[in-house]
Amino acid sequence: MAEARRGGSEQAFSNEMAITEQEVVRRKEFLEFHHDDAEALSKLNEVAQKYADPVIDDLYRHFLSFDETRAFFRDPKVLERVKRLQKEYFLRLTQGDYGSDYVKNRLRIGTVHEHINLAPKWYLGAYNFYLRAVALRLFDSMSSDPRKAFSTFLSLMKLVFMDIGLAVDTYIYARESTMRKQQEAIQELSTPVLQIRDRLLLLPIIGVIDSQRARLVTEGLLRAIRANRAKVVVMDITGVATIDSKVANHLLQTVTAARLMGAMVIVTGLSSEVAQSLVELGIDLTRLNTVGDLQGGIEEGERLLGYRLVHEGDAGAAARPV
Amino acid sequence: MSVPILKQGDILIASIQAALTDRDLDQLRDELAARVGRFRSRGVIVDVTALDVLDSFATRTIRSIAYTAKLRGADTVVVGIQPEVAFAMVQLGLTLEGVKTALDLEEGLELLRPAAKKDIRLGT
Repeated sequence: MAEARRGGSEQAFSNEMAITEQEVVRRKEFLEFHHDDAEALSKLNEVAQKYADPVIDDLYRHFLSFDETRAFFRDPKVLERVKRLQKEYFLRLTQGDYGSDYVKNRLRIGTVHEHINLAPKWYLGAYNFYLRAVALRLFDSMSSDPRKAFSTFLSLMKLVFMDIGLAVDTYIYARESTMRKQQEAIQELSTPVLQIRDRLLLLPIIGVIDSQRARLVTEGLLRAIRANRAKVVVMDITGVATIDSKVANHLLQTVTAARLMGAMVIVTGLSSEVAQSLVELGIDLTRLNTVGDLQGGIEEGERLLGYRLVHEGDAGAAARPV
Repeated sequence: MSVPILKQGDILIASIQAALTDRDLDQLRDELAARVGRFRSRGVIVDVTALDVLDSFATRTIRSIAYTAKLRGADTVVVGIQPEVAFAMVQLGLTLEGVKTALDLEEGLELLRPAAKKDIRLGT
């Protein structure tokens, strides 16, 4: 069951990363990894079997001699398990069939390393260690034919570079998807529409406005206008540091759309820089109702809706018959 | 399909129930202009709640209804533009400039109430 689930997520994973069969073929072409390379590597399998354990022991000795990498293998049981997996990985290099299954396997390994926060520098360093360790043994085992040993090593290097490419992709992909998720979260959080009086809404806009966010803001506002039966909206842009003509147009569209639904928008909090740049850009803002600050905007909105705010200290005085 | 025009005191209410052809819209404009004079109406409400799209011709016709009615002495309020419709309209640059708008029929009537202490800017 767990296996099946994992299989499913890998599928989605490599699909999302847009690594298709076609893509794998192109990568191999670029590395000039051909059929004879695969064949040469398959012939190496016997040697690999023989040297797998010493190479991997060397690799882990290397890992354990650095604080940064030792941290990952504190638990002896973990060490035992990763060594076993490492051996599988190592032997897989010389087992032929470097198709989509191979790629999926490599992507999974990359993901696992990304998950445990092993920085790419150590990951790539380990590849380097592998190549060196294998090179020495390879030349030893083929000492009679150094030319062949060298060409086999080149084949191995092509394959290892494909692995590196895939591993780096998983790191980049993971970072990108984290960023995407955060961006979505920011967008959701950043456009609240608040009712501050009956039929009076407050729309505080903070940060950078792009087309997509402007769309979300407008849609959210229009829905809120209908839901709250709002007549006046105070749009506060104190938190918007700079405005260009595009952003100004977005704001105008929001104001116009609100008006079409019968709500008036009061824009507040234009900083002097923003005001000056708007004038310099020559954007026609005569259709905008602007009030200096948020307080003024709310007061204006209340006035339009017929509210009168009375300070309690003054209430008695006001009520006294003249 | 012609649009029924209801008379409620000195207000005329045209409630558009389905997408109209350009001819229907022209007919609505002519009919409203005639009735404003006949009933000495003070206000016209065009209710578009049921519409899920307002194209450029419809927008232009509604504007000309408003201007014509104004010249005949009646204020026009367009009511019931849906959020999606409003959004699509501004994307297309259709702003109904100079025409009063309100959330729904109730609001529109309120806006046209003579005693309403309305700010000149509200609803325009």
